[in-house]
Amino acid sequence: MHRRFFPHTLSALAAAALLLTACGPKTDSTKPRADSQAPAALSDNTGAAQARAFYAEHPEFFHFKTPADIPADLAWEDGAELPEVGSPAAKKGGTFNTWMQDFPRTLRTVGPDSNGSFRGWILDNVSLGYAHRHPNLTDLREDGFHYLPALADRWALDRETKTVYIHLNPAARWNDGVPITTDDALFSFFFYRSPHIRAPWYNNFYGTKYAGITRFDAHTFALHFHALRPDIYSLALGLSPTPAHFYADFGEDFTERYQWRVAPSTGPYTIARDADIAKGRSITLTRVKDWWARDLKHFRYRFNPDRIRISVIRDSAKAFEAFRKGDLDTYGLGLAEDWYDKLPDTAPEVAKGYIQKIKFYNDTPRPTYGLWMNQATPLLANRDIRLGVQHATNWQLVIDKFARGDWSRMQTTADGYGDFTHPTLRARDYDIDAALAHFAAAGFTRRGPDGILVNAAGQRLSLQLTTGYEHFKDMLTILQEEAIKAGLDLRIEILDGTAAWKKAQEKKHEILFAAFNVGAEMFPRYWETYHSVNAYDVPFIENADGSLAPNPARKPKPQSNNLQSIADPQIDAMIDAYDRSDDLAEMRALAYRLEEALHADASFSPGFVTPFLRHGAWRWLRLPEDGNVKIANSLESSLLFWIEPDLKKETLDARKTGKAFEPAILIFDQYKKD
Amino acid sequence: MALNPLTLRKLRRFRSIKSGYWSFLILAGLVVLSLGGELLVNNRPLVIRYEGRWFFPTYGANLPGTTFGYDYGYETDYRALAARFHAETAEAKTRTDAPPTARSRNWLVMPLVPFNPNENAAYEGVFKPAPPSWAGGPPGHWLGTDTTGRDIFARLFYGFRITILFALGFTALTYLIGIAVGCLMGYYGGVFDLIVQRAIEIWSNIPFLYIVIILFSVVPATFSIPMRITLLLLVMVLFSWTSMTYYMRTATYREKARDYTAAAVVLGAGPGRIIFYHILPNTISTLVTFMPFTIASAITAVTALDFLGFGLPPPSPSIGELLKQGTQSLTTAPWIVGSAFAALVSILILVTFIGEALREAFDPKKFTTYQ
Repeated sequence: MHRRFFPHTLSALAAAALLLTACGPKTDSTKPRADSQAPAALSDNTGAAQARAFYAEHPEFFHFKTPADIPADLAWEDGAELPEVGSPAAKKGGTFNTWMQDFPRTLRTVGPDSNGSFRGWILDNVSLGYAHRHPNLTDLREDGFHYLPALADRWALDRETKTVYIHLNPAARWNDGVPITTDDALFSFFFYRSPHIRAPWYNNFYGTKYAGITRFDAHTFALHFHALRPDIYSLALGLSPTPAHFYADFGEDFTERYQWRVAPSTGPYTIARDADIAKGRSITLTRVKDWWARDLKHFRYRFNPDRIRISVIRDSAKAFEAFRKGDLDTYGLGLAEDWYDKLPDTAPEVAKGYIQKIKFYNDTPRPTYGLWMNQATPLLANRDIRLGVQHATNWQLVIDKFARGDWSRMQTTADGYGDFTHPTLRARDYDIDAALAHFAAAGFTRRGPDGILVNAAGQRLSLQLTTGYEHFKDMLTILQEEAIKAGLDLRIEILDGTAAWKKAQEKKHEILFAAFNVGAEMFPRYWETYHSVNAYDVPFIENADGSLAPNPARKPKPQSNNLQSIADPQIDAMIDAYDRSDDLAEMRALAYRLEEALHADASFSPGFVTPFLRHGAWRWLRLPEDGNVKIANSLESSLLFWIEPDLKKETLDARKTGKAFEPAILIFDQYKKD
Repeated sequence: MALNPLTLRKLRRFRSIKSGYWSFLILAGLVVLSLGGELLVNNRPLVIRYEGRWFFPTYGANLPGTTFGYDYGYETDYRALAARFHAETAEAKTRTDAPPTARSRNWLVMPLVPFNPNENAAYEGVFKPAPPSWAGGPPGHWLGTDTTGRDIFARLFYGFRITILFALGFTALTYLIGIAVGCLMGYYGGVFDLIVQRAIEIWSNIPFLYIVIILFSVVPATFSIPMRITLLLLVMVLFSWTSMTYYMRTATYREKARDYTAAAVVLGAGPGRIIFYHILPNTISTLVTFMPFTIASAITAVTALDFLGFGLPPPSPSIGELLKQGTQSLTTAPWIVGSAFAALVSILILVTFIGEALREAFDPKKFTTYQ
């Protein structure tokens, strides 16, 4: 699957942070600083010094004020009343054994090669932002989600000035022991806007989403915004600082210099010793002793294992055998084949209760698996052909027979956004007659000798279906066989993941089977995927009467996510209004209208959603009563489970003697939708 | 064409080596059978008699369901049609006044294995591997089905056809290039030989697998499956012809120094005539003995590429693809890997036996005996 980085994982921006301890901004140097005894050996070319120069160059963005400038009438929030996450029964200790397919190519969390699956273990799953969205309370308040305190102990929103004030918890420490201060927050805006990190997405995000940052004192700062959007809190609180003391050698060679350095993070885990990195084989994380947040209300039952050992196992079948042996504590049983055939309820380990089977229904935005039809290609420019393809695609058969009824049909382009998902819109069903009618309307009326429709000019109704997901190839051949019944020839092209993505980014595909990996955002994005500026270089020309007409000489715009080449002035207008709106109700109404327009446009055939997580886990891995958090996207993402070493010994002994326990098939369906 | 008596003797010798000879007959038989594979393994019947009309759908056009009174316009489900005709016959027999020989006017003859290699058949309601029919699986699937319910026998059968044709094409092309270049090098020698040899050394150092991976990631979308297979063939040939040149070069050097070549030169024959009429027939034993091994290595290579996912484009049936599926479901569906492995080993054994026998028969040291 393409792991396109998505900005919604703002907590993801956490790990690399920089502590601006010794050398504060010059304007601020007159004031005594709580943390002024931090390393003083930084020469003038340190990251911190470069940052200072950067602040001076951008006075419009970086402001330095005193605590007296903080408005007195702010309504501070601290999320203290929100319910706890996890289980009081959780015990600290033990080692959690898991696996990854490849050894990471870097330990950086930003820059080339850093966006691999391992990053979750040093960033996304384990680090703290200023405040976190409550993972179980997903209803929307006026100011967005419910936030629980993490690095910040309180925060406030000033609607008039579009500013979020944040106060850091004075106890907050990097996991190397250095205090976290406001200067680290500022440093992020130097670090992530620097060309040296070679991460244009971050450069753009930090450069355009924020209007400025103000430092008040070592623990108080404010983030300024251009607009008051409903997700303003998410944008502010989801950030996290960057450790300046660690990036002393920051410079042009950042990506090489920091390739294998372990950055201090805001989270509880670190790579404690050099021996914990066995290149090519495994990485072991150790829980920091006396982690500063271990007793905080919302973190005390999380991050339980003392050590997390992630071994490299290149072949998933081999990993499964390692799990069955007991070398790995869990194994994902997402595939129907794994859940029903490889580890059936009757398997001896399951029947004897050694291995628990866990099925957890989550409720979170769904990856957009489906067929993305490129309207910039000759056949698919015709809406009737697109409608025909929609009706010729038998997703229901795939769901019933391939996924054994476990998946459900995706209905819109943005499923799983709660209120923001269109409540009544339904994806088109497989219907041969309807498909034939639409193809006939496009001129394909006659079946050729091979059963594929042909038009008057003798052209066959044949379209290339490209994908980079080798593991879905059998599923696509099912779609292919079914499409033939409707007279449509789908030529399947399986490419290497990167090659397929490149082809789609250059808009050279006809139909792409792919999914965007979406994070738990408040509302769906439309600009990236559906706005005409992401479809063509010059999408429209103006008619004499001022109306817009498609530009006949337009060229598809490469390197953008409008994979359908949708260019529709009305959709553009709705997206612009949606992106400007500061009112949730208005945005919701626009989202519904957009979904209806996209449904009518018919160039995205929604595929399927997997509404659950499925795992096998050995008996010594214990879960809280509710299993996981509502927006969980993996067992590891919230780290609520714990390891019981006594149970491990008991289970392994029992396996030797043949003693049986109560079988455990755990189904958590409290968040299941009908 | 009259064979020279020496060659006839070699062929007789080959016939006398039983394992190789029989392997040759079996393999040749299999290839011939596979060429007419649509008549043996297919979901289209060989012949249909319907309402007084004859149909031969095997190689013909797609017959829509409406032809046989169904209400759909896509290709007829012939197995359902067979069941319908069967039911009609049963019904005819139950009529009280029916003679014992009564049967439906409609009938059809399905091929031996009534499955097409690409159709998915559900097992227990879902697409999952079904065990072979003799091991409790659904009837008709002699070797069971693969992970999406496709008949393994049909996939192996057509996979064999593609693989063997691929291997033969591969061998022919590599030989063509390898022999031509090798002979030229040996015949002209000197600077030409030196330069071409260096060029070959450089060329053969290009990593073949990377080229295949890169090439297949940029192949234009408009290429059809046969074109993509041809492309794979050409790429493999491009990187494999070099090894043949070494043998041909040395053989030509040797033959060039013999008297009959000098005689041909004296008689005024040109280089083309000397190389292809005089020298080449005398190096034939080298060529012939290498051939089966080239075929075997081509089969292995295309299987390995499929296994890695860079071989024949899906959904082409292929042994390597089945092997891959099989290793991933070793515990749940051992029949997949079992069938694919057995098929691959059998083909390779046949080819190797033929190779052994050929090598023996064409061995210039005739006094050795084949054990």
